[in-house]
This record gives sequence, C-alpha cells and structure tokens, in this order.
Amino acid sequence: MSAVTSWVRETLVRDATERRIFAALGLITVLLVVGVLTGVVGLRFLLFQIALVGMYALLSLGLNVQWGYAGLINFSVAAFWGIGAYCAALLTAPNSPLGLGLHPVFGFLAAIVVSAFVAVLIGIPTLRLREDYLAIASLGLAEVIRAIILNERQWTAGSSGISGIPNLMSWLPLTDSATTAAIVVFLIAVVYLFLRRVHRSPWGRVLRTIRSDENLAKALGKNTYRFKMQAFVLGSVIMAVAGAFYAHLNLYIDPSDLVPLTTFYIWIAVILGGTGSNRGAVVGAAVVIAIREGTRFLNDIGFIQTLGVDLAPLRLLFVGGLIILIMRFRQDGLLPPKDELIWPAARDGSGAGGASPSGAASDGGASSNGGDDR
Amino acid sequence: MIPLQISPFQYVANGVVFSSIIVLAAIGLSLVYSIADFANFAHGDLMTVGAFSALFSVGFFRPMLGDAGVFGLPLWFFLALAFGMGAAAVISVVTNRVVYRPVKDSGSIGLLISSIGVALVYRALVFLSFGTEPERYGVPRQGPVPWVRETLGIAVTPRNLVVVALTVVLVTALHLTLTRTTLGRKMRATADNADLARVSGIRTSEVIFAMWLIGGALAAAGGVFLGLEELVRPRMGFDILLIVFAAVILGGIGSVYGAMLGGLVIGMVHELVPLFDQLGVPLVSTPYAEAVAFVIMVVILLVRPSGIAGDSG
Repeated sequence: MSAVTSWVRETLVRDATERRIFAALGLITVLLVVGVLTGVVGLRFLLFQIALVGMYALLSLGLNVQWGYAGLINFSVAAFWGIGAYCAALLTAPNSPLGLGLHPVFGFLAAIVVSAFVAVLIGIPTLRLREDYLAIASLGLAEVIRAIILNERQWTAGSSGISGIPNLMSWLPLTDSATTAAIVVFLIAVVYLFLRRVHRSPWGRVLRTIRSDENLAKALGKNTYRFKMQAFVLGSVIMAVAGAFYAHLNLYIDPSDLVPLTTFYIWIAVILGGTGSNRGAVVGAAVVIAIREGTRFLNDIGFIQTLGVDLAPLRLLFVGGLIILIMRFRQDGLLPPKDELIWPAARDGSGAGGASPSGAASDGGASSNGGDDR
Repeated sequence: MIPLQISPFQYVANGVVFSSIIVLAAIGLSLVYSIADFANFAHGDLMTVGAFSALFSVGFFRPMLGDAGVFGLPLWFFLALAFGMGAAAVISVVTNRVVYRPVKDSGSIGLLISSIGVALVYRALVFLSFGTEPERYGVPRQGPVPWVRETLGIAVTPRNLVVVALTVVLVTALHLTLTRTTLGRKMRATADNADLARVSGIRTSEVIFAMWLIGGALAAAGGVFLGLEELVRPRMGFDILLIVFAAVILGGIGSVYGAMLGGLVIGMVHELVPLFDQLGVPLVSTPYAEAVAFVIMVVILLVRPSGIAGDSG
C-alpha cells in the first residue's frame, strides 16, 4: 500500500496545486461511483463516457507530441482523427461503399498507414518553414479532407455517413461498452508509457531543444526537419488510432465531426492540461468532455429550454473564451510538465528529490535538462 | 439571346469581383502580419462581424433614406457599408487592447492561438445576435448592365461594378496613405523593424492602433461586399479565411502590395475553377474551389515560400 502511495506521489502528484487538482478529480470519480451505485448514472452511459474521454485523451496525447514536444502547430487534428475513423469504418463495415467487412485490425493498420502518409505530405512543404505556415496549411488540409469526404460519395457515403461498424473484440466476456472502455484504457496506457519513454530519450531531448530554440538544435548538428517530421507523423498516427477507435465506439461515423471546432477542443485539452505534459493532456481531455457533455445536459433542463437559447453558439463562445483566458492567465496549464522528463534514477541521485525547479513550463526542457545531467 | 456555354470572359469578370473581396481581406491580414507579427486567424470572422454590423445598420438607415440611390445601388447600402467598416475597426482595436496586447510577451505563437479563441468568440456572438440563418442586405435585384452585355457578351451587374470600383478607391487610398503621409511612413518603418522605429522616436503603439483600425475597416468592406455578392452568413468569413491566407502567402507574408497581387491571382483562379471543369480537367470541380486555393498555397510553399514580393521566409 505504501509503495502505491509513494508511486502516486512521485509520478503524479508533486505539489499543493496538483494535489488539489487530483483531489477534485478523485471527488468527481467518487461522485460518479456513488451515482452508478444509486442508479442516478447508468453504468452503460458511464462506460461510454469513459471510452469517449479515453478517445479524447488519445487525441490530446497525439497533439501533445506535436505541439507540446516539438512546438508544431497542427490545426488538422479533426482531419487525422477523421482519416482514422473513416479507414476503420470503410474497411470493416459490411454496408460501407467499399463493402469489404474486414477484421478491425485492418482498419487500424490502414488508419496508421494513411495518416502517416498524409502527415508526411503536409509536412514536406511546411516543416522547413516558420511554425505559422504549418498552422495555416494544416487548417487548409482539414477543410480539404472534409470536402473530399463530403463530396466523394461513391467512396465515403458523403454526409449520410457509414453505419454498421462492428464492435471491437465482441468475444470478450464483457458487455460491449465495458470492452471498449477496457480497450481505450489499454490503448492510453500503451501510448502514455511509450511517449514517456521516447520523451526522456535523446530523441525527446532534441525535440525539446527544437521547441525552445530551433537554431540551437541546428547549431548542434541536428537535422531539425527530420526530427520535426518524425514528431508530426507520430502525433498524427496517434490521432488516427483514436479516430479508428471512435468508429468502433460510436458504430457510426459521418463528416459532421470533422469540423474545425473538434480540433480546437483538443487544443484546449492540451493547453489547459499543460503543454508538453502527458498527464495534463489526459486531465485536459477529461475536462473538455465534461464541458461538452455538461452543456449537452443543460439542453435537457426545462428552464433553459424556455429561455429559447440555442446552446451551440454558447458552447462556441465558451471554447473561444476559454482559449483566450488560458493564454492570458494560465499559459502553463493545470499540470505543467516538471521533472517527469527526468529519469527517476537521475532524480534520486541528484538528492533534490521531487522538489525540482519550478518554472520552465512551456519550454519544458531547460531546467529539467539541467537535472538530467547532474 | 442566352449563350449555351458561358463565355470565358464571364469567369474573368467574376474573378475580378471575387478578387476585389480577397484583396481587401488580404491587405488587412498582411498588415497585421507585418506590424503585429502573427497569423491572425480571427481575420475571417472579423469580416463576418463587419458584414453583420452593416446588416444591423440597414435596419435604421433604410427607413431613414428610402429608396434613393446612386450608381444603381440604394444610398442606405453605402451608409451601411461605412457603418460596418467603422464597427469592425472599433471592434478590432478593442480586441487588440483586451486580448492581444496582454499576451504580447508570449510571442507570435501565443498570439496566433489567442486569435483562434477570438475567432470563435466573434462567430459565437454573431450566432447569438443574428441567428444561424443566412441573410440578405435586401438590395433590389438588378439585371446586367446593358452596354457591357452588348459589347462584351458578359453579364455584369451594377453591384459588381460598385464592388470593384470601391475596392480600387480603398486600395488607392491605402496606397496614398502608406506612401504620402507621415502615418504611412511610420507604419512602413514599424513593419520593417519595430525596435529601430521605436528608437527613432516613432510611437509604435499609435502605429499598431492605426493598423488595427485600417485592417478592421478593410476586412469589413470585404465582408460586406461578399455578403452583397452572395449571402450574409455567420461562417462566411471563416470559410474564406484559407483563400485569404493563400493570397497573403502568395504575395509574401507581411507585404501589403504582395497581398494585393496575391489576392488578385488567388481570387481569379478561384473563379476560373469552373472553366477548368468545362475544359475537362478532371477532379477540379466546383466543390473543390477551396482545395484549389490550398493546393496553390502548398505549391508556393514548396517553390518559393517567401512569396512574390516577400523577402523573408
């Protein structure tokens, strides 16, 4: 038991603010469990929400690789997500326009291959240039991919969408919603551990250097274009996997979710959680889902319906306002990256324990790099 | 006499009109890029705000002035245009004061991300005040100008001519401001090197104020013209933003004259897309007009990322 608490203290919760944030999350979890036990919240509904939060967490982890690790501004999160979802839907649904009905594994494989290919295509013209070119071009890419999916009906079924996508691993002795929730938890664990490993590796250190000063990385002889491309492709592939998972979670997909707003939800998740922080990305995703689903509930409350307010624009206002407020008042986010980038052994050896230097939030590397070398 | 196939000149005429709108938008975006040094993703929605402000003012200008008209358009439309430009100018100055200036220290990337938030807020406010349905200014329908039709065989309405003429006036006025006035010289100096300008005694905050004022007014003019030619929709500005960015990149980021040229080219290409379709070029069909702008942009980035008139990549 004490081993568990010390692990939690070392890897997750390190100062008073973080303790408060995690306490709040813990409280919400307890409330949800109580809700399920008393029947206020349906278990099926809760599991679906968990799977959805997990899907968003995956997307946020993917964006965190691009924006948080390497400083790449990708405004086509929704497009890579859509590529993944459509690859899965087209290959596995028996009544999709392709009508193949393949095993879901092929959907995931296709999602990975196609998203990597598209990421390279968009990376070639933009990653050598100033970072805002990628921002502009990726926003364009998102619209183009949405236009293709909407207009090429013979391949994608257009706006009518694709239904009949099979469940994942229905042979497991669990309900469908429990299976998907379990799968997403597994996916997050794999991606999270993998990213933590690569972020601490020499590769991750180069990326952090590029983020804070690309010319410095160049001066050190690093081919920054290649590193940025690798980070961009890795992040995009994670997003596509999240999309493929979503297709099997929702069992129906249409182009309406490929709008730029989806991309900005993920941006909020990442900058709210703490740019460069994987823990933050997961927490941010949970908060974003809470906002989305919370405002959906508002629609059902009779009082608000009588006011005759359309909630879609309010949500837009809220998302926009939140971006502005975070950028102004809390650019580090809720859980900025700290010494999580340091090998645990190095941290213990330095004698400083968990109390690592503060600051160094957005450009992550600087001070923690110092700790690394000690 | 109704021609069975639309004359290629018709597409060129449409292109000139659409180019005018893109030029106006691109100039504002380029000004922000050169002086405030960030890609302003809220510029498209600022156009929308201008267009809807004008729509709002139609409500009281129209009963006031009746149907008296000049140049084939009712007088109230011109007042509404001026009102929209003024409103957007004020809104963009206020936005700079409230949102952009406080986060200036976080650099161009922080400003860029903030501008996404601003874009969403603008659009949400338009949705909340005007609803989601497309609107019209209610300018009476007009037939094509007879003498143009007879001499060139193409249909050009008086409102097309007004849009192009007013764009020429606005662009000329901007050109004269930039080259002949002290303010213009200060603006060019600040765009060139803000620190050097400050050391030379130029109050750059005043220049930035003027820049937002001009950029906002021109964006609104573009938005109102777009609303006049098509519909006044809450998403109109955001939908056109990519094309405007393509124009700015083609012209060379931060170059006002490049933006004019880029806007002309991109607007023309955008309207010529159906012509390609007619000639049998595959895949380039009308739903992909935006994709064509995107492809042009990618090609520019590959071949000459500094654009036609730009000097830095």
